[in-house]
Amino acid sequence: MNFDKLSDIKIEVENSSQETGNLPGVIAEIKFALEQLLETKKTHCIDLLAMPWSPGEEQKLEKYLGQGEVRVELNALGKSTFIESHYSGVWLVSHYDENGETIGKLIEINYLPDMIFSQTEDIRDSLKRLQSIKLNEQ
Amino acid sequence: MNKQTLLEMLQQQGISRRGFLKYCTAITSMMALPPSMMPAVAAALESARRPSVIWLSFQECTGCTESLTRSHSPTVEGLIFDHISLDYHHTLQAASGDAAEHAREQAMHDNKGKYLVVVDGSIPLANPGYSTIAGISNLDMLNETVAGAAAVIAVGTCAAFGGLPQADPNPTGAVSVSSLIKDKPVINVSGCPPVPTVITGVLAHFLTFGSIPELDSLGRPKVFFGQSIHDRCYRRPFYDKGLFAETFDDEGAQKGWCLYRLGCKGPMTYNACATLKWNQQTSWPVESGHGCLGCSEPDFWDAGSFYKALSIPDGDYAKASGYAVAAGIAAGAAAGMLNKKTKSDAVARHTKVSVDDFAVNKETD
Repeated sequence: MNFDKLSDIKIEVENSSQETGNLPGVIAEIKFALEQLLETKKTHCIDLLAMPWSPGEEQKLEKYLGQGEVRVELNALGKSTFIESHYSGVWLVSHYDENGETIGKLIEINYLPDMIFSQTEDIRDSLKRLQSIKLNEQ
Repeated sequence: MNKQTLLEMLQQQGISRRGFLKYCTAITSMMALPPSMMPAVAAALESARRPSVIWLSFQECTGCTESLTRSHSPTVEGLIFDHISLDYHHTLQAASGDAAEHAREQAMHDNKGKYLVVVDGSIPLANPGYSTIAGISNLDMLNETVAGAAAVIAVGTCAAFGGLPQADPNPTGAVSVSSLIKDKPVINVSGCPPVPTVITGVLAHFLTFGSIPELDSLGRPKVFFGQSIHDRCYRRPFYDKGLFAETFDDEGAQKGWCLYRLGCKGPMTYNACATLKWNQQTSWPVESGHGCLGCSEPDFWDAGSFYKALSIPDGDYAKASGYAVAAGIAAGAAAGMLNKKTKSDAVARHTKVSVDDFAVNKETD
């Protein structure tokens, strides 16, 4: 059997009987950040790759957050997904490389993740390209 | 040092601003910085210039290079290597012989005072002939190359602490980089091999900020080596409750209990495995059911069997452990505290024991 990449190997994640205790901490941080967003418009971001998780615990967090109304897909240096959770203003952001391997996993508390907006530098570049097109030559 | 900035290079490759920000997000995470630092990282990387890197391989097994390059390419690690100028690396470069050595000398000349030297492997002092490259002894090549460098990164436990070649009886007289280089900053990125993200995290830090990260007493970056495996281990609560696997297939092992009695060196090992994990964050040794070998610590190879408990806490431990089972979590926490209290003494004594030595625990449990 040939496997081209790690994700081809099917693995069953067993839930550990013991959890790290990070899950309630992360949920408390989300609650606080959401309050801050409403009161002061201050945004917040949590790096899920920066903390230890027991097997299956991260999946439990994703299940807890669920999927809401919006899902955005970005294609830049590999795929990225921005999924608004059941809780408005709480986004699960996943970045992948060209091989589909995870390179970033974050929870962003924001009205809309900043990266989704068209970026000024890209707009400027687009304008230049549009200005250089000479329609009568086409 | 390349005159083009990183941002200009990415733009030339047709990478959008969003792609650049995604790259910065991944690098921020890789450097173990909080996500709120991403805009600062992006601002620094916009003007960063491509530094020259010379990679020297001495008495080593190439495992460190394998660790880095076997990650699925192209990755963020791959991207970083696109954005540093890796001017000399025995294993990876196409050039050989005189041409290869000329590339090293050219890079040293063109980037004097600014280039980074990465070393994997230890340096033999007993006889220069034990390890040579193009007829140059490892010691001479190290001294010559480091003379004009900005900093040195000792990648892997062999370069950082002598590692396996230095293990008793150390036939080649192997020594670490930091025992020879005293006039340049030396960053130790230990591990056998090191976590690839830690290697690239340190390179990314230099690329981003043009400086070296804060180091611990053993010269390792604190962001990655600041906490012990034990303190970040998801099995830690079992240790605190006195619940241990006694064999690799008993009930405790199946339930994922603490591997301390099976020789886990997590309590005295500082590394980022528990958080960064291996193979694209899939798993790490303890999650796979095997104790930590302590590979990022000095003399790990001579620290006794991998399967013997590193140290036995004082006799009171057995009593406290028994109480833990009898009285539940509260006493379990007390056992944990007792363990913390006695741990440093026990580690200092470095007493090695077998599982049989815990028989007294079994009787009281």
